[in-house]
Amino acid sequence: MSYDATYTKELPLVPERSSFPELDEVVFKPTETKPTRAWYIAFIISSTALLIGALSLGYTLYYGIGMWGNNNTVGWGFDIINFVFWIGIGHAGTLISAILYLFRQKWRTGIARFAEAMTIFAVMTAGIFPLIHVGRPWLAGYLFPYPNQHNVWVNFNSPLLWDVFAVSTYFIISFLFWGLGLIPDIANLRSRTKSGIKKFFYTILSFGWRNSNRHWQHYERAYLLLAGLSTPLVLSVHTIVSFDFAVSVLPGWHTTIFPPYFVAGAIFSGFGMVATVLIVLRKVFDLKHIITIDHLEKMNKILLLTGTIVGYAYAMEFFTAWYSGYQFEQFVFINRAFGPYAWAYWIMIACNVGFPQLFWFKKIRRSIPVMMIIVILVNVGMWFERFVIIVTSLHRDFLPSSWAMYIPTWYDAGIFLGSFGMFFTLVLLFVKLLPSISLTELKAVTENAQPKNH
Amino acid sequence: MINTKKLSNKIKYTGTACLIIGALLIIFSFLFDAKRAFYNYIIMYTFIVSIAVGALCLIAIEYMSGAAWSVPFRRVNEFLSSAIPFLIILVIPIIPGIHTLYHWSHKDAVDTDPVLQGKSPYLNETFFILRLFICILLWIIFYIFIIRNSRKQDYSKDIALTNKNIKISVLFAPFAVITLTLTSIDLIMSLEAHWYSTIFGIYYLAGTLLSGISAVTLISVLLAQKGYFDERIQRRHFHTFGMLMFALNVFWAYIAFSQYLLIWYADIPEETFWLLKRMNGHWQYFSISIIFIHFIIPFIVLISSAVKTNLNILKFMAIWLLAAHWLDLYWLVMPAFDDHSLAIGWVEAGFPIFTVGIFILLFVYKYSKVNIIPVGDPKLKHGIDMFLYPDLSID
Repeated sequence: MSYDATYTKELPLVPERSSFPELDEVVFKPTETKPTRAWYIAFIISSTALLIGALSLGYTLYYGIGMWGNNNTVGWGFDIINFVFWIGIGHAGTLISAILYLFRQKWRTGIARFAEAMTIFAVMTAGIFPLIHVGRPWLAGYLFPYPNQHNVWVNFNSPLLWDVFAVSTYFIISFLFWGLGLIPDIANLRSRTKSGIKKFFYTILSFGWRNSNRHWQHYERAYLLLAGLSTPLVLSVHTIVSFDFAVSVLPGWHTTIFPPYFVAGAIFSGFGMVATVLIVLRKVFDLKHIITIDHLEKMNKILLLTGTIVGYAYAMEFFTAWYSGYQFEQFVFINRAFGPYAWAYWIMIACNVGFPQLFWFKKIRRSIPVMMIIVILVNVGMWFERFVIIVTSLHRDFLPSSWAMYIPTWYDAGIFLGSFGMFFTLVLLFVKLLPSISLTELKAVTENAQPKNH
Repeated sequence: MINTKKLSNKIKYTGTACLIIGALLIIFSFLFDAKRAFYNYIIMYTFIVSIAVGALCLIAIEYMSGAAWSVPFRRVNEFLSSAIPFLIILVIPIIPGIHTLYHWSHKDAVDTDPVLQGKSPYLNETFFILRLFICILLWIIFYIFIIRNSRKQDYSKDIALTNKNIKISVLFAPFAVITLTLTSIDLIMSLEAHWYSTIFGIYYLAGTLLSGISAVTLISVLLAQKGYFDERIQRRHFHTFGMLMFALNVFWAYIAFSQYLLIWYADIPEETFWLLKRMNGHWQYFSISIIFIHFIIPFIVLISSAVKTNLNILKFMAIWLLAAHWLDLYWLVMPAFDDHSLAIGWVEAGFPIFTVGIFILLFVYKYSKVNIIPVGDPKLKHGIDMFLYPDLSID
């Protein structure tokens, strides 16, 4: 039946310029040419932001965390907001590379490598915050339980400790997953390069890869296992981050929907960030035929889905606060929506639930400028979500005499800026040093790469 | 074009026998102990909603995600979801039971209880009944539209019908989540009207999807083994069923664990009384068994890849998980009836037998009218050809 074939034929993932040498050229080009002017400008901006962050952090370390806006009532401020924000962004990579892989979504190949790299950089950025949040980061070694002469032990009952384990395990597995996927591509680079120093490093990083049949068999097996391993890990990380809040008795933090709601939010924010950077990347490096508008449309659909799930969670929280008949809970939610931080709440609602609803329309899903605006708003909204959860729940304590407002200082802002600086500096270095698209996987999904019997 | 291979009459007789025996037992149980029977009725109703609406959700997910592997089995989903129109009849016996079941419906109790007074704009009889019927009506509307397009396609083979169904399914998705949330809050959570949990809707949704996929797996395996499907349907096709049962079961466990841990850890009396009931008396043994029955055993069994293509084990696990969902609903509902001891006797037996009867008879009826394979679906060939491994054909 002919109409069968036309309907189910998947759109070619690599529509044009798809011969293998041409793909090699376009993907490896950024790693084999000198950086352009635009790259230098971007690098100067992001490393400046990183330096501002380092400076603010230096002041903080020298004078102590009194430099921050945190106070007795609002004990968790920008430090934890930024931690949760960045760790959330670190969820998209593993979702794209592992979960979509298990769901047999082949379109992921074009964006998986890049998203994984972003995951790793986001988790690295996030890792700074709990470290500086403890106030004396040089004592952070005690977070790992080991027998020591002071007989100091961690509190195993605390989700904050589970975070240490979850995040570090997640980082290690994601790093291995990413590194494993890079090996065949680095081997390819090794074979192509003429420069001696590059050859040296690529040779080390490719671990003697020779494209032999046996190598590939092991590679595929390890890839599947790591995908299976990272899937529960990625869910566990944000689940445990949500436990940090939800195990408490604090109204606004203690609610049972937090784990799935945080995971959905993390995927939402991660996709927002990946989409933001991909839109720029595909233009700058001329990858529009590899990261096509169809990819972006599919990402927008996921944004719509996860954004709506987050909206469901907001609604359930609000409804249950009313339904519970628990006056403190009710107060917190009324205060969120109409209190002194109402502006933050409504920014959150508009950016996370409102604007992504525009993705119901196909025209908007496929329009680059509109998409760019919405995904940036998603980033903003998800940062404000953490702000709302943390600050509005804390700033009205049980005793009105302890009520306080939270006003971040310039040092808070500087460290926040620095976190973006660190993230984008790493991203910029990555796109110049390593192939930002998994070439071997991409070749496997080009037209006629797969044997077809029918 | 209708199925050439007839179902054996034995199936029809079994279904009729189940329905009659079940109905008789249910009538006797209402005469014997009306209160207990009402509680069991809630379990049965929510279970039928789980299967029927769960199956419709799976159809919608297939359309939305563009999945091809499940197309050959979509009719099984459609046959299961044909119980949806009957919900409007099945819901009626709940209405005279509101007073027996729901503490918040007693005016004198509400008058002395400020918490219940606060909830009364939501938990009152008129609004409660209205919500029940609105949910059912929404399901019926979406059911009629989706199924009609799917059947029409058998003859017209029109691709536009698939595209139409994609649109309807997308629209159905938010409604499905909201209606299932409301159903679970109204029928189950409000049995203990003081208790609340924001995750409760998701908890029921997880069980719904799991029992939906288990029911489809069970029937598809039975049909495949008896040779009712295309011979090109292979064991490999069932691997995905096994994966989804495994994944959704883990999802259910994740949600259940989240709810338990957070309530246990925060330990505030507004919430813990609900768990305490289930952790004391005879219920504690039941609660511990649920962990094994609903999570640990299926997890261990279904994790291996070989099991997912072993049709006999798959069939067994599908029945197992359906029973587990029933027990889960029992665990949610029955402590409100008796917070010390388990009520298990002949009264409990009629309801599952009746449910089995309904689904068998609906299936037999639909099978005589509608193709078991959606022959006009443009994704069908792709779905059948997806896994062509000669060594994995059904023996």
